[in-house]
Amino acid sequence: MAALWGNIDYAAFVVLFCIGLYIIIAKQNLIKKLLGLNIMETAVFAFVVTSGMVDGGTAPIVGPGMSGPFASPLPHAMVLTGIVVAVSITALALCLIIEIYRQCGTLEADELKGAE
Amino acid sequence: MNQVFDLVMLALLIAMALAVARSKDLVAAAMIFSGYGLVMCLLWQHRGAPDVAMTEAAIGAGVTTILVLLAIGRTCRREK
Amino acid sequence: MRKSLVAITIAAAAVPMLIGVAGLPRPGDPSAAVHTHVAARYIAEGAHETGADNLVTGVLLNYRGFDTFGEVMIIFAALAAVMAVLPRGATGLPGAGAASGIPISPIVAFIIRLTAPFIAAFGAFVIFKGHVSPGGGFQGGVILGALLMMLSLVLGRGVDRPLIPARSARWLQAAAPLAFFAVGVLGLGLTGAVLGYPAEPGRELLRELMMIFLEIGIGVGGGAIILGLFLETRGE
Repeated sequence: MAALWGNIDYAAFVVLFCIGLYIIIAKQNLIKKLLGLNIMETAVFAFVVTSGMVDGGTAPIVGPGMSGPFASPLPHAMVLTGIVVAVSITALALCLIIEIYRQCGTLEADELKGAE
Repeated sequence: MNQVFDLVMLALLIAMALAVARSKDLVAAAMIFSGYGLVMCLLWQHRGAPDVAMTEAAIGAGVTTILVLLAIGRTCRREK
Repeated sequence: MRKSLVAITIAAAAVPMLIGVAGLPRPGDPSAAVHTHVAARYIAEGAHETGADNLVTGVLLNYRGFDTFGEVMIIFAALAAVMAVLPRGATGLPGAGAASGIPISPIVAFIIRLTAPFIAAFGAFVIFKGHVSPGGGFQGGVILGALLMMLSLVLGRGVDRPLIPARSARWLQAAAPLAFFAVGVLGLGLTGAVLGYPAEPGRELLRELMMIFLEIGIGVGGGAIILGLFLETRGE
């Protein structure tokens, strides 16, 4: 448990991931499930970015006059690509939700499952 | 001081995620999600990632919220 | 029954992750694995190998340029899929929306018209200075896209006279993949590898120009795609 307190950031991001997972599993509305998916995605991005930081580190910009330990630039690049993928998923999912509502008249998952 | 700032941000993030889970009004959930994106942006700026923070502020608190609100406008507003 | 099943699933997901997280080196440890393998070389050599002071831009466009190529293809494919899914009117333009007929408040219109030039200048600044200061292609592109969304609320007069004419909008949305394709062919011609930057010490200007061209392509393409997503989701 002491090791978990040292990594309190990582533990908080795991808790956020599980809250997002709970929203996807337990809530019935499709838009709410999409918000839960976004919460899961941002929790993973936060985990990756936090793993790249150093004590007393600054942004990875090596200009003239910048010194000191730099945060690693690789997690930042991966998370930038991930954010773009997340917004693409969200946009396509929202359009599918609009189309489902137009065809079936409801957005609740159990009603959609029974309506066929 | 640094530690206190971090802990307050993380607690705020968890509280906002729980609020998104519990609210029945979808517009309120979208708004709280926009604030969640903004707090995430502040957290990343504090971690030394300004590019990622700028992108998350523009996309998470901007584009995603606008698209969700447009979709709510074309479907129903309350969760049953 | 259902509630206990949900609780068991969440616990089964959370407990192994917490155990795994407890075993990681603490965030900020300089001897962690993330800092000792490739990142040290990128930080030491990145500025004069890529020509970008902003190491994240250098990594995105030079060291891992293929990943960025895939990313622009993903968001372009998302726009194409959105256009394929949503119902289109008789003329091939978006139809059947619920947002028409809502008047814009004059305060909002005034503020948008007042701040639009400054937002455009800031967006262009973020794109062009992205390889020296925090920023880059996609950040500036999203700022420009948000500006175009606001302007289409105020200036767009419906689908017959949209803010950007449909044919040029399609070319602008394809700007990012086209820029990557152009720079890839140029790299193929110069170095024999697709998207290869010339590595001789005398070619620094060419490296920087290729990177700026890619950034402009990503910025303009990203902004146009975000505007396209907004118009499609809004409908008519």
